[in-house]
Amino acid sequence: MKPRKIRKLLVANRGEIALRVMRTARALGIATVAVYSDADRAAAHVGAAGEAIAIGPSEPAQSYLNIAAIIAAARAAGADAIHPGYGFLSERPEFARTAAENDLLFIGPPPEVMAALGDKVAARRIAVKAGAPVVPGVETGDLASARKFAERAGFPILVKAAAGGGGRGMRVVAEAGALEAALEAASREAQAAFGDGRVFLEKYLARPRHVEIQLVADRHGEVVALGERDCSIQRRHQKIIEESPAPGFSSATRARMVEAALNLARAAGYQNAGTAEFLLDGEEFYFLEVNARLQVEHPVTELRFGCDLVAEQLRIAEGERVRAPDAPRGAALECRINAEDPEYDFRPATGRVIGLTLPSGPGVRVDTHLEPGAEISPFYDSLAAKLVAYGADREAARTRMIAALDEFALLGPRTNAALLRDIIASEAFARADLSTRFLEEHLPRWRPDEHIMRAALIAAALAADGRIGSVAGGGFAGANGAKANSRPSPWTALAGFEAWGRR
Amino acid sequence: MRFKRAEGGKVFAVEISACDGKTLRASIDGEEITGEIETTADGGAILRFDGRRIRINGARGRKSILVAAGPASFEFAPVEGRVGGAHHGLAAVEIAAPMPGKVLRVMVAEGDVVAAGQGLVVLEAMKMETTIAAESDATVRKIRVSAGAAVEHGQVLIEFSPAPANPSTGESQAQAR
Repeated sequence: MKPRKIRKLLVANRGEIALRVMRTARALGIATVAVYSDADRAAAHVGAAGEAIAIGPSEPAQSYLNIAAIIAAARAAGADAIHPGYGFLSERPEFARTAAENDLLFIGPPPEVMAALGDKVAARRIAVKAGAPVVPGVETGDLASARKFAERAGFPILVKAAAGGGGRGMRVVAEAGALEAALEAASREAQAAFGDGRVFLEKYLARPRHVEIQLVADRHGEVVALGERDCSIQRRHQKIIEESPAPGFSSATRARMVEAALNLARAAGYQNAGTAEFLLDGEEFYFLEVNARLQVEHPVTELRFGCDLVAEQLRIAEGERVRAPDAPRGAALECRINAEDPEYDFRPATGRVIGLTLPSGPGVRVDTHLEPGAEISPFYDSLAAKLVAYGADREAARTRMIAALDEFALLGPRTNAALLRDIIASEAFARADLSTRFLEEHLPRWRPDEHIMRAALIAAALAADGRIGSVAGGGFAGANGAKANSRPSPWTALAGFEAWGRR
Repeated sequence: MRFKRAEGGKVFAVEISACDGKTLRASIDGEEITGEIETTADGGAILRFDGRRIRINGARGRKSILVAAGPASFEFAPVEGRVGGAHHGLAAVEIAAPMPGKVLRVMVAEGDVVAAGQGLVVLEAMKMETTIAAESDATVRKIRVSAGAAVEHGQVLIEFSPAPANPSTGESQAQAR
């Protein structure tokens, strides 16, 4: 494809990442097009775009995963490029291919590279060829070979989806009796999430850290690494806290990991922004997977390197060369605030956001699509906001993050914000005792502290009496006369909740 | 005033005995709390007690009260006086869907004796499988959903009667293992 300037960008995503991408496009003078499902008619990304096109029902399969509808929207709007964000279609080779066939510049790697890396089994083979160490494993999910591998490697064993990501289709198997059920469950979850039920097995490392390398590659064969991110703090195999640099990471190990990541990217013919993920066990590391897209946690790298990764993605897609990054400075930390219940197995929480207070100030960045009145719907993932703190060193970033989490308040569905605060403030996190088992080791059966619990009960009693509560003027619930595509006013936002002033 | 937590169903007794000017006096399950309160422009308040400061806010719904306390959020249901008494804090008599979703599996049958923590129903929502577990020992009286069904937030999944008070409950079996 010939180099060309992007004039109009369609963002094939929703939520905070759609807003994030549009911000950069706007700053670069590129027109923006949003797509939205029925559930997202009033979502923030719709209002933020220059134009917005409905693509179907709320079910992701019929809207944000509907390639034909999104390509049709891009053509109708006269867009010349598509940014897929993360999740949804971002790593679907057929989406990238269909975009190219319709003369739309796809912001990401070429479809065949994506296909090779998106299949975790194929990606493992590329890694081995590029000389990157991999976790001992077996490329099959059938029970007999699984049993054989388990006998050889010993339990626990990890079952993973070949097409997987984000912890879905993943199961830890502690003993032989649980193997069959785990294979079935992982395969079913993978089939539902990715339309591909293939699974494979790996030896389960007891106490690894998750460390990843940010890569940016151009179509002229040049690849650069923008340092690492430690994403060890996870729940249900999904990251909730990420930071850069990785604390206690020796420069020798870092150099070896960066080298492995660069070799991998070159071997795969990688282009655009991507991330090579590794498990770190002492000074040993093992290749996990390549995420062929922008990561949720990319702001951590942006703050340290003073760069805009979306701008780099767009430049590279236009055919320009990668730029050598500036030397990184300081330390950055990200917390993912999810709408979920940290006291009950992190089950998703849904509902309307009645009130929202976001932190700000020096070294604090908040990426969110939420505002009072926004609906957290059951159709999409539970990420509510990303809080990012920067400081001259890790301790400065950490204390800033504590202050930022103390400023954060959400009246509405439950979130993990209080848990995140307790993690960041914990002695174990302060001394960087990081591993993917951090939560079970340091904060098992977490409950909000007694002070918060008491304050919450007092608040409930005061709210029941009408002594405190969202002030909703002469509010009236449910202004249904409003046109379907309009954004909710603060008053309609309170529909279902009684509005009252202070008495 | 009694409040039941929407999650877990634990019941707390809260009384506000004074809330005038800056003084706040409350009791939670009989324990006295004295502190200061200042209202804020957004309708919430700042509480100071136990040497700490915390921001609160609330919204009263038809069936529940939403609360923000510091970075944490909660949902409480006011409990009428007559519902309390001997029964309060004991087993929930039914278990409801904590979020809208699809029933993937029902793991128990009517008449089963279940132990606290035992998985009952697997729901799929937000692309994740979530196991709904028993909050206390009980006997399954009626199953109100089946695999494949779409459920709304708050829809009753399973009704219980209290577990038989003999040593053969699921929990004691689990302990004996």
